[in-house]
Amino acid sequence: MMESYFGTSTQRIKEFREKLLAVTPAVCTERAVLTTKAYQEHEMDQVVLKRAYMVKEILENMSIFIEPETLIVGNQAKENRFAPIFPEYAMDWVIEELDEFDKRNGDRFLISEVNKKILRDIYPYWKGRTLQDKGYAAFPDEAKVIYDLGIIRNEGNITSGDAHLAVDYQTVLQKGLRSYRQRTQEKLDALDYAEFEDMKAGYFYRAILIVIDAVETFAHRYARLAKEQAKTAGAQRKQELEQIAQICERVPMEPARTFQEALQSVWFIHLILQIESNGHSLSFGRFDQYCFPYYEKSIRDGMKPEEAEELLENLWLKTLTINKIRSWGHTRFAAGSPMYQNITIGGQTVDGEDAVNPLTWAVLRSVARTHLPQPNMTVRYFSKMSPEFMDACIECIRLGFGMPAFNNDEIIIPSLMDKGVSKEDAYNYSAIGCVEVGVPGRWGYRCTGMSYLNFPKTLMTALNDGVDVNTGKKICKGLGHFLDMERFEDVMKAWDYTARQLIHTGVILDNCADMVVEQEVPDILCSALVDDCIERGKHLKEGGAHYDIISQLQVGVANLGDSLAALKKCVYEEEQLTRKELWDALMNDFADEDGKRIRRILMLAPKYGNDNDYVDDLVKRGYETYLDEIKKYKNTRYGRGPIGGTYYAGTSSVAANVPQGAGTCATPDGRHFGEPLAEGCSPSHAVDLSGPTSVFKSVSKLETSQIFGGVLLNQKVTPAILTRAEDRQKLDLLIRTFFDVLKGWHVQYNVVSRETLLDAQKHPDKYPDLIVRVAGYSAFFHVLSPQTQNDIIARTEQQF
Amino acid sequence: MEQELMEDKIMETGGKGYILQIQKFSIHDGPGIRTTVFFKGCNLRCKWCANPESQRSRPEFTLDRLKCIRCGRCMEICDQKARTVTGPQGYPAADPAGCTMCLACEQSCPQMAIGCEGRQVTADEVVAEALKDKPFYDHSGGGVTLSGGEVLMQREFAVSLCRKLRGNGIHVAVETAAAVPAEQFQELLREVDYLFVDLKHYDSGKHREGTGVLNELVLKNIEVLRDSKKPFRIRIPVIPGFNDSAKDAAGFAEVLNRLGVPEVQLLPFHQMGERKYELLGREYTYRGKPQLHPEDLETYRDIFEKYHIKAQVGA
Repeated sequence: MMESYFGTSTQRIKEFREKLLAVTPAVCTERAVLTTKAYQEHEMDQVVLKRAYMVKEILENMSIFIEPETLIVGNQAKENRFAPIFPEYAMDWVIEELDEFDKRNGDRFLISEVNKKILRDIYPYWKGRTLQDKGYAAFPDEAKVIYDLGIIRNEGNITSGDAHLAVDYQTVLQKGLRSYRQRTQEKLDALDYAEFEDMKAGYFYRAILIVIDAVETFAHRYARLAKEQAKTAGAQRKQELEQIAQICERVPMEPARTFQEALQSVWFIHLILQIESNGHSLSFGRFDQYCFPYYEKSIRDGMKPEEAEELLENLWLKTLTINKIRSWGHTRFAAGSPMYQNITIGGQTVDGEDAVNPLTWAVLRSVARTHLPQPNMTVRYFSKMSPEFMDACIECIRLGFGMPAFNNDEIIIPSLMDKGVSKEDAYNYSAIGCVEVGVPGRWGYRCTGMSYLNFPKTLMTALNDGVDVNTGKKICKGLGHFLDMERFEDVMKAWDYTARQLIHTGVILDNCADMVVEQEVPDILCSALVDDCIERGKHLKEGGAHYDIISQLQVGVANLGDSLAALKKCVYEEEQLTRKELWDALMNDFADEDGKRIRRILMLAPKYGNDNDYVDDLVKRGYETYLDEIKKYKNTRYGRGPIGGTYYAGTSSVAANVPQGAGTCATPDGRHFGEPLAEGCSPSHAVDLSGPTSVFKSVSKLETSQIFGGVLLNQKVTPAILTRAEDRQKLDLLIRTFFDVLKGWHVQYNVVSRETLLDAQKHPDKYPDLIVRVAGYSAFFHVLSPQTQNDIIARTEQQF
Repeated sequence: MEQELMEDKIMETGGKGYILQIQKFSIHDGPGIRTTVFFKGCNLRCKWCANPESQRSRPEFTLDRLKCIRCGRCMEICDQKARTVTGPQGYPAADPAGCTMCLACEQSCPQMAIGCEGRQVTADEVVAEALKDKPFYDHSGGGVTLSGGEVLMQREFAVSLCRKLRGNGIHVAVETAAAVPAEQFQELLREVDYLFVDLKHYDSGKHREGTGVLNELVLKNIEVLRDSKKPFRIRIPVIPGFNDSAKDAAGFAEVLNRLGVPEVQLLPFHQMGERKYELLGREYTYRGKPQLHPEDLETYRDIFEKYHIKAQVGA
């Protein structure tokens, strides 16, 4: 844990943190068993009621515990960081992979033989009843082929809940869940069951009432447990437990009065949403804004700031206790069991004033101190952000855990308003998950996270007359083979023609997934806490949300552009390569000496990320096909209530670039078979040789105001540039130029670690872009002598 | 109009120069975020030089022997037969007399072992590249820095470049060793906004020992610079065994006091250029010498402070 700039954690937090990190995650079967029981008992009920009874069954009967260190209570599974099984979403993979969970080389989970038996015993019930079974069966044949080949992926959409949103925590804190109960009851009482829509709404309202009661019971169970434990606790802990008991008797049903009540209330809701559904990217929204009144009040009433920060750290540790097991196929798209529990801080108020308050600082400090992969912290940048706060953000980046990421108010707010979002809501946006954005409490599921489209693979299909290169299967109509494409414009036409067909298929897959989620696994609590579900009597998937615009993910944007540039330059303009030469080299993965020569020529073509218009324009042009086509489509909520009901683009493809690359043949950008694709909107790996300003320039040429599901840009810095205050200030100015002038969308920094430097020393070819700086001099790491490299490595260790 | 005519004239007299590279996001070469243009060619031969590829004025080849497999393809492809096998281990090397810099060998090398340092560019090409980062200069108070090599070795090109850059509203800094006659120094000085002058040794004989030239011109030009009222900074590269003793610090401080320079920047010796000597196939007498770090120069710096000279270690 970092102990300098951000201070140090209390002993209690240190111990809790160490304990959590020492856990080897395992599979917990409790939720699976309770869900199965509820489903069997309520098979005849309408799905919303069945889901409500399921939540009730779980919350009333699951094991609960209170860790000896914690002040905030509530657990997801039998033990911290154990992953529950959600059988209603998918069971085939669970059973198929049961014996492999503890043998995985990443995201490994232990599982006992007893638990394996429990899962095998409930499996027969779920056969044909899961979301996955129903979703897959619903895919039209034309789409199924493409799904099976992995050209478009949306496995996550039929094996998980949706999430990717932030609920209305502000109202929960201000009015308590009791107000929701009252409102729902009033709506229920006013229904006329002779009206069809009213009758349907009636089931939903009754479901909400069941769930709210269950939440109350759940909180009271903790109150009782705390009282029980207080009886035998030492004096100080006894007092703490008694306080916990009082708080749990009160929240989340009643309005919060103190900071601790507010945090406990937020945690209960967040936790129960993670129990209700296994969707990830459930986010906290603008936590520093809606929690600030309680922070301020508690400080005024005598709470010490360090006590408040201890509570915050306690909450962050709680976010680490949430875990999710995914199928191995899906795990590769989301490596490291990420939950993307985003917390957004900073930015501006609706009046354009700096929204940074003392709680914003406390959140930044406490997240920096806990130094964990969760929560995922985003700072909203705006042009009047103070130098002091920016400096603190850069200090946090120095710690090397990739946080905070920045989202830029200067482009996001106007773009939201363009999409029909009210001014007040636009100014209140928050990051959801990692990069994408939504309006907390008013935006439906999956502002990003629908199907993944592999751009380079689409290009290869386009060059191959609509036939998948790997399998030889015809997947869409073609415009002939590359060998017959006389002009570069023929390539562009084929790309455009093919991409549009696959985008169309992607929407079919999305619609199928959305349809079955609506029919099979509606989330009751989550819907109740998003406007205007109660008002309309519709859950989120029926069109209950105020705003509902979603996005798919486009993977390998840079590879597409680099490939187009290489084709244009090397084949069509300079005729360095014949079409046959190039095609053969791609098909045999640049295998022999000649293949190497051809690859060398391709590598010398302009690459995206170097502020070179030749290639940047092609990236933009290639992407425009997507932007233009996706505008034509509607999602399943269109015309059913929400503003929007449409799509936009998005590139926050998380780790998908790795598995998507694994199944993609060699590409004209010089990429080998199986190598990862470029991340998000970042340049391809190690081809951005012109420094960060050029990367920013290249990225800013994209139509970022249209790529609303996130313009993900990862940047890396060597620790040396973050050591001196003057240098950090230049990084500050670099980021500000990107955001203020170039209207960049997002950036996050990874600090190059000692391990990376060691690896770069061993494999210089993997890191041609790694720049190191000393005073007045910078050089590529790979051209340094081993002794100089060692010296830099040794000093990297000292600094961290 | 007058400005335009002036520019035309410069174009006529040949606006081309030899440079090594244009490096964006340079943060230690003057105020703000900058682009540094490295000139090729230098009139000094500092034994510790970290940019040995900048010393000779014409482009030259580099060969990475760790990558070269001596396959001979570069020799086969050479139209001029300029590549001949030299050296005991049979590695290729270019014969400067026959080479036309067509770069066919570089492009044909399957190992990417051959590189080329230096290319000829017009001032307009440099300006076009530098303008790409204008938003960053404007937002950070930055600009372009001309560095080297020795900028003053290509004075005409440098002057033309400075005018064009400043004509586009770009702040221009120059890094120089200033070992040229004062008139030549002044000619460039008029065209720039900020100067960095390296002083390698306070003692002229020692200066020649380390760099190949005496220091009188340098000291004279520092006076010129001081009188010009332009903002500037004197930098001392602190080199082990050459100018890093306490006595040396005092020597520098006395000279600076005499010149009326109240501030100095100390650059600790580093080895970032060590491998370049291998790539160029040149001898390097500082091979393997340990780098200095800011903390190594604390005592050295304190001596300047005693002379009331503000000394900063690092850029």
